[in-house]
Amino acid sequence: MTYFKTAWRNITKRKAYSFINIGGLAVGIAACLLLFTVVRYELSYDSFEPNYKHIYRVVTQDDFADGVDYTPGIPFPAHDAVKLAFPGITTGALFAGYGRQVTVVESNTAAGKKFIEETGFFFCDPQFFQVFHHNWLAGSPDVLSQPNTTVLTQKMAVKYFGDWKNAVGRFLMLDNDVTVKVEGIIQDSPLNSDFPLGIISSLETAKANASTYGYTSDWGNTTSNFQLYMLLPDHVPVAKINAQFEHLSRVYYKDEKTSKKISFLQPLSELHFDNRFGNFGDHTINRSTLWTLSLIGVFIVIMACINFINLSTAQAVGRSKEIGIRKVLGSDRLQLLGQVMGETFFIVFIALVLAIFVAALGMPYIKHIASIQERLSLLNWQTMYFMLGLIVVVTLFAGLYPALILSGFKPVLALKNKITSATVGKTSLRKGLVVTQFAISQVLIIGTIVAISQMNYVHDADLGFNKEALFIINANADSVMQSRQGAFKQKLLQIPGVQSVSFSSDVPSSDNNWSGNFGFDHKPDEKFNIFRKAGDEDYFKTYGLKIVAGRGFTKSDTANEIVINETLVRKLGIKNPNDVVGKEIRSGRSGWKTIVGVVKDFNTNSLREELKPLMLFARKDRYSVTGVKLRSANISKTQAAIETAWNQYFPEYAYTSSYMDENIARFYQQEDQLSLLYKIFAGIAIFISCLGLYGLVSFMSLQRTKEIGIRKVLGGTIGHILWIFGKEFFILLLVAFLIAAPVAWWIMNNWLQDFQFRIPISPWIFILSILISIVVAAFTVGYRSIRAAIVNPIKSLRNE
Amino acid sequence: MIKIAELEKIYRTEEVETVALNKLSFEVKEGEFVAVMGPSGCGKSTLLNIVGLLDDPDKGSFLFNGIEVADFNERKRADLRKRNIGFVFQSFNLIDELTVFENVELPLIYLGVKAPERKKRVEAVLDKMQIMHRRNHYPQQLSGGQQQRVAVARAVVNKPKLILADEPTGNLDSSNGNEVMQLLTDLNEQGTTIIMVTHSEHDARYSHRIIRMLDGQTVTENILV
Repeated sequence: MTYFKTAWRNITKRKAYSFINIGGLAVGIAACLLLFTVVRYELSYDSFEPNYKHIYRVVTQDDFADGVDYTPGIPFPAHDAVKLAFPGITTGALFAGYGRQVTVVESNTAAGKKFIEETGFFFCDPQFFQVFHHNWLAGSPDVLSQPNTTVLTQKMAVKYFGDWKNAVGRFLMLDNDVTVKVEGIIQDSPLNSDFPLGIISSLETAKANASTYGYTSDWGNTTSNFQLYMLLPDHVPVAKINAQFEHLSRVYYKDEKTSKKISFLQPLSELHFDNRFGNFGDHTINRSTLWTLSLIGVFIVIMACINFINLSTAQAVGRSKEIGIRKVLGSDRLQLLGQVMGETFFIVFIALVLAIFVAALGMPYIKHIASIQERLSLLNWQTMYFMLGLIVVVTLFAGLYPALILSGFKPVLALKNKITSATVGKTSLRKGLVVTQFAISQVLIIGTIVAISQMNYVHDADLGFNKEALFIINANADSVMQSRQGAFKQKLLQIPGVQSVSFSSDVPSSDNNWSGNFGFDHKPDEKFNIFRKAGDEDYFKTYGLKIVAGRGFTKSDTANEIVINETLVRKLGIKNPNDVVGKEIRSGRSGWKTIVGVVKDFNTNSLREELKPLMLFARKDRYSVTGVKLRSANISKTQAAIETAWNQYFPEYAYTSSYMDENIARFYQQEDQLSLLYKIFAGIAIFISCLGLYGLVSFMSLQRTKEIGIRKVLGGTIGHILWIFGKEFFILLLVAFLIAAPVAWWIMNNWLQDFQFRIPISPWIFILSILISIVVAAFTVGYRSIRAAIVNPIKSLRNE
Repeated sequence: MIKIAELEKIYRTEEVETVALNKLSFEVKEGEFVAVMGPSGCGKSTLLNIVGLLDDPDKGSFLFNGIEVADFNERKRADLRKRNIGFVFQSFNLIDELTVFENVELPLIYLGVKAPERKKRVEAVLDKMQIMHRRNHYPQQLSGGQQQRVAVARAVVNKPKLILADEPTGNLDSSNGNEVMQLLTDLNEQGTTIIMVTHSEHDARYSHRIIRMLDGQTVTENILV
């Protein structure tokens, strides 16, 4: 008990040091807690599933001569084939639709409420619900064996019908075409699920409406939206199934000429973390990213511990007398060790309590940045264990060295005040710790600069087309809609604020990867796939695409004329784009068509992906996107007029619109979030190292009062004195930089590999980072050392 | 060399006003060895600080080599100090983190002397003080007498015209003390002016003249030579 009393007195006696120690530790621990919460949450995805360890997804890998494509999907006919090949294994199918329209069919009126379901719209077979566990509030999985049946989650049932209990037996109209009956209600999925189920209709429904939903028995057509899940019994090894799949792939994909396609199993536990395949949820996150975040947390705690070690050993001199007396009075080394460790524990405990408050304050902000919707509490058993572990590790790490130093004082020397900073601990160790701190914060500074520069580059990059003032309306094109598109376009062009209008399959930069094999100039098929976009004759004008050879195609409902991009020209080994104009091209099962022009390269997908070889053509039945180029004046009035026109021409279709540049920004949401996280935690790291620096310099200047006095007496100026402090830290800073720069380069170079279009890591990034470090250190060290340098030497020497 | 007239220095705290120097006047000629004696609190140290240009007087005149320095600012005083004055303290005031060589070298660094020249001069003075063999040791590895010899070496390395010694033997035993006093005498014989504050009548007898102080004023002057 007296130990805690001494500990408390020590804390209150040296307020500044205690503030630095406790404050630094609290901020460090809080940062660590927040990062732990985020990482733990991401790792928890899908783990609530009772069969978590036994569920696998059948994914497909496609090896081309010049690269590999990965898809989480499998051709539709594979569903039956797999069930046939593995009769003892439960296999469920899930088929997603995006931006689908659901209309509530009211018994009394014709026009019901319309909803566009961007996500949550699925078809599945009854087996899917044998693989994945859900609580059924009404009905059972069996209802999904019939066509025209659907199951709703509780939330969706409320959205459509007000009360889920009224939903069963009611009717919904899908895409203005298919009527389904609600036969079951399931509980909502947890938020940490990669399966955001909402409305799940029977797979038989999609089969019965094959053209609407693109369901085809063609083995050559793989969509990432159609996925198979297998529940492996305990005794069946994955390797065995994969070996069978290797064999089966040769049969399934025997018609693939340009590539080697193979299907295999991916564990459910990888769904959230493997961005080669992706998932139905809103994001995947690399395990390496989670490692990076965890490492940042560890680094920050290490930095706070280093402050503690440095300040405690520095302060030890002042406590030498107390230790001496205790030893003379009979305390042995072990007891003293215990005392000092006890004090450390006490301080760490106070810091932890503060940290919980700080973390609770920071939680909403971090949740927002990491887009976590779930309520996260710091007071769950995992976080508790984590905090318990943290307090033990931090106490040991921060406390052991100072405790060994203090308890090792020779009592005679201690009592004679013969213990000075020079004799306490190894100064080289203290310097080493400061270098570690500097190095960590410089790695974080460099990393943050690179991340911010890359994200700025991505946002400002020239995509090869004009994304400004482009208004996009999404809809699922069916024959009814296509029949009215011409008139709708004329109506839009009459609105004064509309400059031009184009219907297309997708916008220039999209996540669409509609691709297939192709032949050029009546030669056999090329060894790489071609990517396709369909658009009307105004596509080039509306999106500001430039034709570099020939011309754009003329008005047509079908693909008569083809425009290709520069990348394709290059990949065909042709130098002059004019040389391809007039040649013929054939893709998929279509006949040979004439190339009429070459379009300047634009980014076909996000900047994460390379430029794809592309062909553009008119094909009316593919048009689902309306792109409207606006004039800058009266935008809101124009928008309203567009909506009115839509409702006039397409009353049965829901209206959803967005701006192109916003959609493009959404491509990089995760990277933006990460770079923001890096920024915040780099800031915290810098703050902690500043605290430590300030403490050390204060201590140094106290310790060196006499030296400063002597130097001033001997003719040293204030500049000379400042340089004593400056030189020491400057050298440490340079050493740290030499360690940090290659490490940071390596980490960030790896990070940039995710982007096909990336900034070079130029020398100025490193120069900027060391400048930031020097300026921050100069301010921290400078303030305190100026105070030390201006003291009259008589005063400093009188203390003798 | 030094001419002080009507010098006053008053220390004020919130409650008390202490007169440290009270219209003090005296003169020290070039080549003199002067001892200043008096009880604690008589103003000896204040006088030494002012003469050493570490502190400024409140009133009065202080001519250093014929120049009025009483109203010099800190920078000017520092500049004059480092060129002309060497200090020897009771507690040696060596820098623990620097070696013997580096301690002695310090004043030359502040004078801007180039490294090869510094090495020559430091080695010469260490040789003269017979501590060359200890050049790479740290102060704490030396005996008190050796430390004070290093301090004297440091005080004379830039060949100052004036050495101010504040109780130079106070922390030494008698044989080491005598050695240091002999060093000072030798320096004086070579032309360096020395002002020494001391409590020791024995040490004072090495000087030419003793100034006795009381309450910030000189009381008597004994001429010994």
